Amino acid sequence: MNPHTAETASNLITLLASFMLVLQLLLAVQSMLVTNIRLFALQSLLLAAIAAVVGFAYGAWHVYVVALLTIVGKVIFLPWLLERLVRQIKIEQEVRPFINMPASMLICGGLTVLAYVVARPITSLERLGSNTLAVAIALLLTGFFLMINRRKAITQVLALLTMENGVMLAAIALTTYGMPLVVEIGVFFDVVIAVMVLGILVFRIRETFSSMDVSKLNQLKW
Amino acid sequence: MNFSLPAIIAQTALLLLLAPLLSGLIRNWKAKLQNRRGPRVWQPYFDLLKFWRKDMVISEHASWIFVATPFVLFVTALSAGLIMPMVTAQAPLGLFGGVLALVGLLALGRFFLALGGLDPASAFGGMGSSREMTLSAIAEPAMMLAIFTLAIAAGSTDLSRIVLASQGTGWNFLDPSHALAFTAMFIVLLAETGRIPVDNPATHLELTMIHEAMLLEYSGRYLALIEWGASIKQLVLMSLLANIFFPVGLAAETTPATFAMGLLWLSAKLLALAGAVVLVETCNAKLRLFRVPDLLSAAFILAMLALVSIFMFK
Repeated sequence: MNPHTAETASNLITLLASFMLVLQLLLAVQSMLVTNIRLFALQSLLLAAIAAVVGFAYGAWHVYVVALLTIVGKVIFLPWLLERLVRQIKIEQEVRPFINMPASMLICGGLTVLAYVVARPITSLERLGSNTLAVAIALLLTGFFLMINRRKAITQVLALLTMENGVMLAAIALTTYGMPLVVEIGVFFDVVIAVMVLGILVFRIRETFSSMDVSKLNQLKW
Repeated sequence: MNFSLPAIIAQTALLLLLAPLLSGLIRNWKAKLQNRRGPRVWQPYFDLLKFWRKDMVISEHASWIFVATPFVLFVTALSAGLIMPMVTAQAPLGLFGGVLALVGLLALGRFFLALGGLDPASAFGGMGSSREMTLSAIAEPAMMLAIFTLAIAAGSTDLSRIVLASQGTGWNFLDPSHALAFTAMFIVLLAETGRIPVDNPATHLELTMIHEAMLLEYSGRYLALIEWGASIKQLVLMSLLANIFFPVGLAAETTPATFAMGLLWLSAKLLALAGAVVLVETCNAKLRLFRVPDLLSAAFILAMLALVSIFMFK
């Protein structure tokens, strides 16, 4: 592989990764449930694009498989499943987070800086797109924050999925062309099954409490 | 850093003459995109001429601030335009200051406009001033951060230096900090020029207006000055955005040939940017006023991320 391709690929990966981060921030502030799901689909599409770039630059065919799986699973199947769930249980469209929008944006920005500081000692290693580690950690942290910040079960599932996107990003852009395909497929199906189970769980919560607010689960104690 | 009189005169003339045309162009394109015929492109010139001929009515409670505001607004917009490289990389008054001076001049103009809105003590003026200040408190830091992103890369806050430095690095739109800063600046541009997701330039509807509310008491020549100043400010911000992010066609030295090329590139970039603004205005509805800070804080965070990512992706 010539150095020019490597540089372009590295640039492209950095750019796509930063767009993933931007989409994550948009997820943190977007209040419409369906738009949230579509933003997640777009983020997964970017992840697939990164995988494709890595596969192309390093001639690693199994990364193409990851890209394909991501497109089929996270860009098409899971968003479709979640949107169907939203339609089925006919919940109100608006997400009402605990913390208001500008504040949660600031917190996400702070978490991004934290991720950068944490990733700093590792990114000094010379690898292709190694600087995406900071983005991956930022996706994880903001995913955690999103989960804490949301009331409704379905948006928490979405936050879990974005965290998984962060893990995948770290796996693809950082270590892989190394990580075995079996592991990736395992992680992937794990997530798909988890979401399907969570979907059923959400449906049951809705049936029992006629709401998706998870704080109502406290009533189970009485 | 040289100080050439012809360059100053040329850029002043360009700012004065091009600004209303740009406003007219945006208005015309917007109408076309919404299946209306729309006003002619040079309608703003006629508007200015009309205001110029009209009498002025000034409230008897107004103080000198009310009178000074139009002049301050006009002069600050114009001088901000002169410290910015527009056609060639050399800004005519570049030795007076860089980015900070530009932002400061625009802020001074806005400060006086807010005072001018408050001064005649009409209810709408005060409302408009308070809204403008609320929004600019978030928009201005976002703009500063976005420009600083480029200033750090160039190692200078001098605008000519920034332009030349980003020319040197070449194909850098793939740089994430660049893309993020551009997005942030674009949102700030919409807010600063009072475009649709933030403010609607076409109405005087009391619930929504921000910029127009401050101008309600102005009439005649003062109104003409303010409108002209506002359109110059729009031109300055748009060509700032175009030139520091896409520094194509800005030559380091000023000769007639480079001037002509620069002029051509500038108009191409401004047309593209105006097209983008028109698209955004047509595709979006105006945000509820209390949601606008959310949009602007998004711009702020984007600009902050841009600044962080300079270090993050090194």
